[in-house]
Amino acid sequence: MIATHALAAAGGNSPSIPAPHIEYGQLSPMLVVFGAALVGILAEAFLPRRLRAATQLGISLAGLVGGFVAVVVLAAQGHASTRAGLLAMGSVAIDGPALFLQGVILLTAVLAVLTYAEGRLEPRINGHRIDAFAAQAAAVPGGEQEREATREGLRTTEIYPLTLFAVGGMLLFPASNDLLTMFVALEVLSLPLYLMCAIARRRRLLSQEAAVKYFLLGAFASAFFLFGTALLYGYAGSLRLGEIADVVSGVAPVTPALAVTTQNDALLLIGLAMVSVGLLFKVGAVPFHSWTPDVYQGAPTPVTGFMAAATKTAAFGALLRLFYVAFPGIRWDWRPVMWGVAILTMVVGSILAVTQQDVKRLLAYSSIAHAGFILTGLIATDRRGVAAVLFYLLAYSFVTLGAFAVVTLVRDSKGEATHLSSWAGLGRRSPLLAAVFALFLLAFAGIPLTSGFTGKFAVFQAAAGGGAAPLVIVGVLSSAIAAFFYIRVIVLMFFSDPQPSGPAVAVPSALTATTIAFGVLVTLGLGLLPQYFLDLATKASIFIR
Amino acid sequence: MSTLLAAAGSLEPAARSYLSPTGQEIVFLLVGVLVLGAAVVSVTTRQLVHAALWLVVALGGLAVEFLLLTAEFVAWVQVLVYLGSVVVLVLFGLMLTRAPIGRSPDADSGNRPAALAVGAASAATLVTLVVDAFRSSWIDLSGPAGTTRLTGEFLFSHWVLPFEALSVLLLAALVGAIVLSRAKGDGTKPRPGNLRTVLTKTKER
Amino acid sequence: MHLAAAYDTLAFFGRDPWWLVLLKAVFCFAFLVLTVLIAIVWERKVVAWMQLRIGPNRHGPWGLLQSLADGVKLALKEDLVVKGADKAVYILAPIVAAIPAFMSFAVIPFGPAGNEVSIFGTRTPLQLTDLPIALLYILATASVGIYGIVLAGWSSGSTYPLLGGIRSSAQMISYEIAMGLSFAAVFIYSGSMSTSEIVASQQPTWFAVLLPVSFIVYIVAMVGETNRAPFDLPEAEGELVGGFNTEYSSLKFAMFMLAEYVNMVTVSAVASTLFLGGWRAPWPISTFWEGANHGWWPMLWIVLKIQLLLFFFIWLRGTLPRLRYDQFMKLGWKVLIPVSLVWLVMVSAVRALRNEGYDFTKVLLYVGAPLAAVLLVALIADVVRKKPEEPPAAAPPAAFDPMAGGYPVPPLPGQELPPVPRRRRRTPQLQDALNGADHSEGS
Repeated sequence: MIATHALAAAGGNSPSIPAPHIEYGQLSPMLVVFGAALVGILAEAFLPRRLRAATQLGISLAGLVGGFVAVVVLAAQGHASTRAGLLAMGSVAIDGPALFLQGVILLTAVLAVLTYAEGRLEPRINGHRIDAFAAQAAAVPGGEQEREATREGLRTTEIYPLTLFAVGGMLLFPASNDLLTMFVALEVLSLPLYLMCAIARRRRLLSQEAAVKYFLLGAFASAFFLFGTALLYGYAGSLRLGEIADVVSGVAPVTPALAVTTQNDALLLIGLAMVSVGLLFKVGAVPFHSWTPDVYQGAPTPVTGFMAAATKTAAFGALLRLFYVAFPGIRWDWRPVMWGVAILTMVVGSILAVTQQDVKRLLAYSSIAHAGFILTGLIATDRRGVAAVLFYLLAYSFVTLGAFAVVTLVRDSKGEATHLSSWAGLGRRSPLLAAVFALFLLAFAGIPLTSGFTGKFAVFQAAAGGGAAPLVIVGVLSSAIAAFFYIRVIVLMFFSDPQPSGPAVAVPSALTATTIAFGVLVTLGLGLLPQYFLDLATKASIFIR
Repeated sequence: MSTLLAAAGSLEPAARSYLSPTGQEIVFLLVGVLVLGAAVVSVTTRQLVHAALWLVVALGGLAVEFLLLTAEFVAWVQVLVYLGSVVVLVLFGLMLTRAPIGRSPDADSGNRPAALAVGAASAATLVTLVVDAFRSSWIDLSGPAGTTRLTGEFLFSHWVLPFEALSVLLLAALVGAIVLSRAKGDGTKPRPGNLRTVLTKTKER
Repeated sequence: MHLAAAYDTLAFFGRDPWWLVLLKAVFCFAFLVLTVLIAIVWERKVVAWMQLRIGPNRHGPWGLLQSLADGVKLALKEDLVVKGADKAVYILAPIVAAIPAFMSFAVIPFGPAGNEVSIFGTRTPLQLTDLPIALLYILATASVGIYGIVLAGWSSGSTYPLLGGIRSSAQMISYEIAMGLSFAAVFIYSGSMSTSEIVASQQPTWFAVLLPVSFIVYIVAMVGETNRAPFDLPEAEGELVGGFNTEYSSLKFAMFMLAEYVNMVTVSAVASTLFLGGWRAPWPISTFWEGANHGWWPMLWIVLKIQLLLFFFIWLRGTLPRLRYDQFMKLGWKVLIPVSLVWLVMVSAVRALRNEGYDFTKVLLYVGAPLAAVLLVALIADVVRKKPEEPPAAAPPAAFDPMAGGYPVPPLPGQELPPVPRRRRRTPQLQDALNGADHSEGS
């Protein structure tokens, strides 16, 4: 205490720099989630092992629900429309699209975290519940150490704080208003995902391979993004999206420092191309999609569901902001390229999905095709396009989450039975589960009365309105191809005989059941009564600059 | 950001010429050539540890370039982080696995032509791009543009949010590294019948 | 405007004519080499004194020329280059180890940052140069010095040196973190990273008093950073023969020794600059003698402080046994770094509150209360918590079977050897009979 006294007595001689102005209230969704992650880490450090799993679930749910409440409050206060603004010294934009997507991401994360905690799908070992994650990630797969860890009931409860970190990054990603923040957010959301892919309990080698593949390709994509950022900074002399837009459209005053570079279109176009590569990788659009099937297949299924839903939402949010805020001035340059990417993505995703024999890979290719459908909405470059993309993301997230949750339930002695042949006749064994999965597949296919139909209709309508009619035709054709394989799975489930040694359907606890029920509810709700949410998306479709 | 550029002083291409370089510019070019050479050797040498050492030379050369551009803070951070930590960790990793003295013939995956093509193409693109973009821009280095104080002020006023987000990223990486590498939980008990476990446990007590 | 101010404070540097810069550089070099020569004798004498021996006493009066003799001996030895070595790196390593050790000394102030003294008619500060980021420069050069040791270990092409090199790189990187964290508290308090300003801001009180935790952490880290006992694991003779320098001889070996001692001097100088008031006269002197901090006098004080810290190094070596490697790493990562982090948070909280203009009691409350609360919770948790049960009083070990599995085996821990069957004592009758026999024979 004497030391403290002396400390306090010593006077400061350094003139302090002006403190930055941070709007904590409006950043609260992110702050709450990051705060919960920190609490989670502390819990991991100090709680005894037996209490950890339950506490972590509680902390995560509290943080995510708290974040969602914050989003709703902010929206109710008008931060989505009239009071939207740039925050944290211009690094973050809180506006309609940002709040809408943050809400979607938080809700998806809540449901995903529920599936993480599922411990009833497998019989207990030694009285310990078994979840989807490796007992000890460092143990050699199949080794003595792993068996020992399983016997002792160790669990990788760090998965919860990691998820919260990823969610925090995802909240920041679509809201970031400069390329640097966007890059940091991209890394914050990606790194925990790479790690989470590596800790599946079953088929651990596959899981680790998936993680390494994801990490290497993801690092490569991040490097592209960063390189593009540097070039764009060279072009515009600024990293803020709004200022880049001003330079692009020639509104910005020409400073002598930028006199030469702002006239250089090569710098602008190559920079934009590289930044887009980074984002399209995260979205899973076609030339950059090759990681998707392997990673979706290898990752623990609850993580796959979370990743498929939330990452796509966040990445499309960032893509929208990039193209609508920073580069509307050169849309005649990027639109043709994005046309090509969208067409390729839809066609390749749909056609390759037809040949798949594994449910998780099939869903992976279907997610690629869906990225293509969403891209058509992005190409519309008007408010309707934004609204359609927002709505599509909302619809798609819950369907995906539900579908992957169903996949976790169909099991045999080796864990999840993901091979399509073992799903034959599932409708006879467990009609309810098969019906739910069929509903999700129909929603993926875009059959009327499901959310998928409304979403597809919205994006195609926006694209047609934006003068991309050929794109719509390609989209409808690929939807037809996609519908073929979705229906094929339904036929397989209901109209073929079950294998004698086929998988059993595990009875889930309330946790997974909630997730699936919520998925069904949203799918039907957005299909039958979409108007409220369409209006909400339309209201939320204005970007602040 | 524009203030930073403004602080860097005005550019006056007309007043400068390529034909009368200052001493600083000559040194800058020479160090640049050294960095390029070291980088090329680093990727072509067949001796693993030597490759890492040439990387040290290249990174150190970059630090000198930063110094010549009066960005001393960035320069010394470059030395501290890249030379002092990153490459040392690379060496550490090499030596814990294998770091043979002499050539390692299997260090080459046979992709040399492809790598050469990709490297040459991207280098060509970059060089054309940057040369074309910045043609004859000159930046006046007499201002306070690279000083520690200005760097700090920008970092902690304009970029404070990404800066803090980075700390979150590092924390996540730390947690992840521990998850993936911590082999033994504190709960492991010695199992009866396994002589080795019993003996080691006894010793620890 | 404050930018200009920041420039002004360092305005005395970088104005010297070239010959003066050269002179100062040569002085720094000579000072280091000389201090090393003295330190070696000093070390042997002090350790001898602590062990109740006499120590070197053959070369020169009281053995003072011992280091010179050692140096000549080293220089005249055969210079070996190991056949399996990576020759270029093998020769480069001692140089890489030695040069950064000297470099850090350029920013150590021997006197106030003003035109204090006159050298050949030029007024100049007693310091080679200063940078706004001088301490970053010190950390950076220290981290480059690691390469010398790592590469020496690797290029020798031998196992023990390699292990020594790896140990040292892990050790230095780990302790550099704690070191940097202890620096950070000083930065927060002095508002600068330049050495001259840090000394200037220790005007009424030294930072060793203001920031005791940082000071202690630095003292521990500096011993770890220089690979000195009790942290001299990279050259642990018992475990690694000689560590990274096993395969070196003659002048190359001398270079490593030189680097080690120069590093000792440098970290001592940094410690006195950062925490012990640098060139300032110690407390009682400064109260009555105004001139103690001017002219050439400051040089005396800092040299004294450096020598005292060197004595501390030697004292440690004479007193403490070497740590085990895992204990050492545990100390670095689980004690020094967390303690520094918590301390840093406290220091910055105090500074922030002071800047906001809170008075002392409130600062104490806001900073002390959370700490007290955490300590209290920890205490309660420790009392309430269920203690790990004593291992059930080791179940009576199974009877020892000396031929378990068909082979003769030693007892496991806890098992006891059955009493060795002894020969029965001779019966008294037999004894008597024998005695009687003796008697009869003898009589």
